[in-house]
Amino acid sequence: MIALLNINNRALRIGLIIVGVIVAIVFFFGMPDQLVRSSIRLATPYILGSLAALIASRAGVLNLAIEGKMLLGSFVAVAVLYKTGLNPIVGVIAAMLSGGALGFVFAVLYLRIRINLVILALALNLFVANATVFFLRVSFGSFGTLADPSINSLPIIDLPVISSIPLLSRLSGYNLLVYLSWVLVFLVWLMLFRTRFGRHIRAVGENREAAETVGINVTLVQIFALTISGMLAGMAGAFLSIGVLSQFVEDMTAGRGWTAITVSLFAFEQPIAAFATSLFFGLSESLSFYFQTQLKIDLPPDLLLAIPQISALSALILVALRIRAAELLKRRNFVAQFGHELNNLRKGVFVGGQD
Amino acid sequence: MTSLKLRQYLENAAIPIFAVLLGLLVSSLFVLAAHNDPVQTYQRLFCEGFGPRGCQTFSDLVIFRAPDAANPDVLQTFFAPLYGIGGHTLAVVLERITILILTALSATVAFQAGLFSIGMDGQLVLGSITAAFLGYWLPNQVYALAGVDAKTATEPLLTIMHLAMPLLCIAAAMIVGGFYSWIAGYLKVKLNVNELIVTIILNAIAVSIVHYLVNNPLRADFTNTARTARIDDTAWLVPFNRGLLPDVEWFSGSRVGIGIIMALVAAVAIGFYLWRTTAGYEQRMTRGSGLFARFAGVANERAALRAMFISGALSGLAGAIQILGVERRVVDGFAGAGLGFDGVLVAVLARESIVGILIVATFFAGLEQGAINLQFGDIPRQLGGIIIAFIILFNSMEDFFRRGLTRLRLKLRPPKSNSNTITGEAKTI
Repeated sequence: MIALLNINNRALRIGLIIVGVIVAIVFFFGMPDQLVRSSIRLATPYILGSLAALIASRAGVLNLAIEGKMLLGSFVAVAVLYKTGLNPIVGVIAAMLSGGALGFVFAVLYLRIRINLVILALALNLFVANATVFFLRVSFGSFGTLADPSINSLPIIDLPVISSIPLLSRLSGYNLLVYLSWVLVFLVWLMLFRTRFGRHIRAVGENREAAETVGINVTLVQIFALTISGMLAGMAGAFLSIGVLSQFVEDMTAGRGWTAITVSLFAFEQPIAAFATSLFFGLSESLSFYFQTQLKIDLPPDLLLAIPQISALSALILVALRIRAAELLKRRNFVAQFGHELNNLRKGVFVGGQD
Repeated sequence: MTSLKLRQYLENAAIPIFAVLLGLLVSSLFVLAAHNDPVQTYQRLFCEGFGPRGCQTFSDLVIFRAPDAANPDVLQTFFAPLYGIGGHTLAVVLERITILILTALSATVAFQAGLFSIGMDGQLVLGSITAAFLGYWLPNQVYALAGVDAKTATEPLLTIMHLAMPLLCIAAAMIVGGFYSWIAGYLKVKLNVNELIVTIILNAIAVSIVHYLVNNPLRADFTNTARTARIDDTAWLVPFNRGLLPDVEWFSGSRVGIGIIMALVAAVAIGFYLWRTTAGYEQRMTRGSGLFARFAGVANERAALRAMFISGALSGLAGAIQILGVERRVVDGFAGAGLGFDGVLVAVLARESIVGILIVATFFAGLEQGAINLQFGDIPRQLGGIIIAFIILFNSMEDFFRRGLTRLRLKLRPPKSNSNTITGEAKTI
């Protein structure tokens, strides 16, 4: 049992990954077109949000303010486009900048003024949730929802070659942010594992003091990481508001920021794994809609929504069990190796005491 | 010595007050952005939150002049918090703080064991759905067993049920909440899984469970919003203005009932538990250092689990009181409104002190209540949330303020013996 749980050997791990990939491919080609498309769309905020969460976690900061940053991004995107009729890409950039700014403020308040991390995040979330609705009413005079024909949503882009191949065409026909999120998964991976800055981020997250000793400016690295994290979260918010419906609704994120944190934990803070996990979360969300509207199956959709949460919890437990098992195994090996010496030592002490 | 203690005490009290003032000041920028006069807006806000009916100015919050009942031409002076003609807003605030006090106590118990659990929301909604279900199911079972109808039931039976039903519902809700919280504690203690993250996930799971239950098996009728059946009258914790104190006009318009007394009793009990019992000492010791507590002979794992169970039970109690005393049924959307989160914020602001919780909860509930009723200009009720967020931010800047204060003090009155030499050296350099 202990040895089984201890998935340190390479073959087992690669085997698991291969099984996962096969399941994903079967799902991708086997399921109805509509379902695949909606899961990919619903996964996008999770992809961007979990990237935001994992960059912060890698830098050693548990970023619980993702929810607030996402909400701010979705509000700013709509607010900028309202009545100006600008290109929606401007909205995305504005959302990104606002998320980044909030991330920067978060970093400064946490690192320089030293507010408790969790309290700070809760206060920021509370502030954004209230301030967005406040300005919605004060600046735009609308109650709860801001929708206007002047708000352009992101146009749908067809990929040139892929859209003509029968089954692969499912990968085409989304808006810019969806493609961008795929590219960003790769870019974040590249940044974290192939650049100097990424190495510094990971070093700071692994061991702050050690990083400081080697001469890394820990505060600066964390501020940068949190700002980037905020930008990604802002982008995720922009997808929610102008990626789908081109409107802003009060409390639009509806807990997606918290779920994104779960996704990043589920994926052990690995960008590629976070991408796969987001797709899984998106799938279960779209399945719950699909069951309701298409199949008319009387299956409780709310319980389907709980499935990813429950699997995330199980994953956390499994990881903890694995760590515990590794410790036990280490101890057992140690006893097997040095057990007789320990016994001798114990005997010697005992005899010595009697003398 | 005593003057030092007094100074510490004053400093501890001064920072929250300073934070409140600063929070109000910064939030007034938002009022200005909405093209309104901050002073008048705040006047309205506080009157709607803390004042008697007809309160107009800040002074009305303390001294209220109203026409005398016998002689309407003569204005008589009243002590405002006690002036209850037409109902007092503080009674509505009392209704709201019941749940705040209990969830804040719940958070405090968990924090005092060194566990940063924010699972109050999940425990609360599970507790409330338990109470709502038992509140109409259990009395019906009893009626069926006794072979009587709810209308024809005899007086003694009803009396017994009036006493037993709320207690049973509350006990069940507390057990459910306690166990839900215990899961997070168990995972933390046995497997060292971060309790913060587990409680976030457990919150989401609880919300979807309750959402499902309200929409499917427990749905009572096919109105637009799904809701459970109303609880039986015997399980109802009757509000003061309907039951015990029907003549006191102070309570009219508010659904505050026996629940607030339960919350206050719970506050005293938790204070006693944390600071006057061995078990409380053990869990506080576990917070300080789990390893040290274990070497000192404290069963630290058991202490942490006990703390988590008590924490969850308090949240479950909050949910049960909200249903049995106020709402009387669970409506779709009750779960997911984040009622439990406010308790965490209150506990944080009160710095985990019991008296602090009572004060902060009142302030919190009054602000929210005032903001909801704020019909001044076109200020949205979200102003209350903004003020609270800023107060929390400023309050947790304590270290920053203290550092600033020390620096200022040193600048104004440099320490005599050392400063001369330092400045002397500086001059020579």
